[in-house]
Amino acid sequence: MKRFLLILVHSVIWRSFLRLIIGVKYINRGVLKSQKQFILIANHNSHLDSMAIMSAMPIAMVHKVHPIAAEDFFGDKSTKEFLMKHFVNAILIPRKRPEKLGDPDALQIMSDLLIKGDSIILYPEGTRGEPGVMQDFKKGIALMVQRHPDVPVVPIFLDGLYKSMPKGVNVFLPSNSKLFVGEPIKFKSLETEVILKDSLEAILAAKTD
Amino acid sequence: MNKIFPSIDVAGHLQVVVIVIFSILVASSVLFAFWKKAKPGELIDEMIIRLRSWWVICIIFLFATLSGPMATCIGLGVLSFLALREIYTHLKLRKTDRVALLICYLCIPVQYYFAYMGWYNLFLSFIPVFMFIIVPFFMVMSGYEKHMGRSMGMMTSSLVLSVFGISHMAILVCHPSLNEDPAMGKGLLLFLIFLTQINDVMQFTFGKIFGKHKILPVVSPNKTWEGFLGGLIGTSVVGYYMGFLTPLDQGWNLVLLSFSVALFGFIGDAIVSAIKRDFGIKDMGDSIPGHGGYLDRIDSLTTSASPFFHIVYLMLLV
Repeated sequence: MKRFLLILVHSVIWRSFLRLIIGVKYINRGVLKSQKQFILIANHNSHLDSMAIMSAMPIAMVHKVHPIAAEDFFGDKSTKEFLMKHFVNAILIPRKRPEKLGDPDALQIMSDLLIKGDSIILYPEGTRGEPGVMQDFKKGIALMVQRHPDVPVVPIFLDGLYKSMPKGVNVFLPSNSKLFVGEPIKFKSLETEVILKDSLEAILAAKTD
Repeated sequence: MNKIFPSIDVAGHLQVVVIVIFSILVASSVLFAFWKKAKPGELIDEMIIRLRSWWVICIIFLFATLSGPMATCIGLGVLSFLALREIYTHLKLRKTDRVALLICYLCIPVQYYFAYMGWYNLFLSFIPVFMFIIVPFFMVMSGYEKHMGRSMGMMTSSLVLSVFGISHMAILVCHPSLNEDPAMGKGLLLFLIFLTQINDVMQFTFGKIFGKHKILPVVSPNKTWEGFLGGLIGTSVVGYYMGFLTPLDQGWNLVLLSFSVALFGFIGDAIVSAIKRDFGIKDMGDSIPGHGGYLDRIDSLTTSASPFFHIVYLMLLV
């Protein structure tokens, strides 16, 4: 039932809405169909980012893809939390490190998802930044790659969505934008620095023409 | 559904144009196919992509024109929306302009509703009178004054280009006095679109063959005096012979009308080129293969439609 709902919401309603009204174009989406599981990394400028990426997912996978969102930002109100969990399929994680035994550990939550065979969407910048400026990547993505080197990492570049819904506003307006899917990244080595550098380059390289 | 697409009943003189348009398309397709065989190259490949888009554009336009006023209004409304979205994508607006922009988008259905109902005065005053007051007022309400004049100017002029100008094509087929005979408005609309495109083609051809003196060296280096004059004269001649589409019966009226289509079409083309140059882009988008964005294709129509309607109105109804 939840799967059916997610397909209806993302692959049918959101995809048509984003395409026809907002003017989003999906470029090179075929890459996603050729993979069974992945970690998606993307630049982050707008609340629409997760919705756009979710709507680009192949129908067979929608229910297995989870955007990772901050608990303190999205989990504060019960309705917001309900929407995030059931309509966006998001997983809420705490931003802080676990202080005492028994606290939820963000990395462990994500690892469990990947072990289960699910996919996750990560924004290595950590939060929505200013358009056109890439912030320094947080280490989380590197730690995930080190723990699960077999899961392909697919870069996504989102261009123009910030014009549709910039940081700090609650209404989105039509504005042509593009979602580029890049080829899975081949990391040169599994050192943290190298992974972060390769990821950044791959996201920027996903933008073609 | 029957109201949107009534059975297409095309009067005899409109059939002629449909046949002419499709013969031009078929002839060019055959010609290009031979050209590609004889002399393959980049130019012909680009021309074939353009021609393929022309096929799609012509079929959609003819269908929207001939199938009834509601289909025309809906089709042109969608076109206005796509054009406005294209401009907005490149405008550097302030975050506080978003409410005003939302109102601009909401203008589109209202303007086309007035056009469909044939409420001439409301149609005419809605954007240049009411929206030119209301849109800036919402910017004022947002309370952030820096660069406000720039935003006001950009938003209202993009509204004129993408909504007000284009919607005059809709009122051509909906104005009650112009449509006592239902083929009259359709004929005028076909006449306008056909002449605007002929003007583009004439300018291009004359410019390529005789072009020497640049007319707008900074804004649009491809345009020449020779192309511009060739377009004016060629379009007037073609317009004179296409006069059977319109209810005008005096030759000089037809020549004047065609002349104005060519002149204002050129101006619209130049204005859109200048805007693109200002934004630092080559095309407004990449939605139509070979032509760029929607606004790149309809640039001449954005400014030729409203003068055309008002000149026809003055000639016929005053």
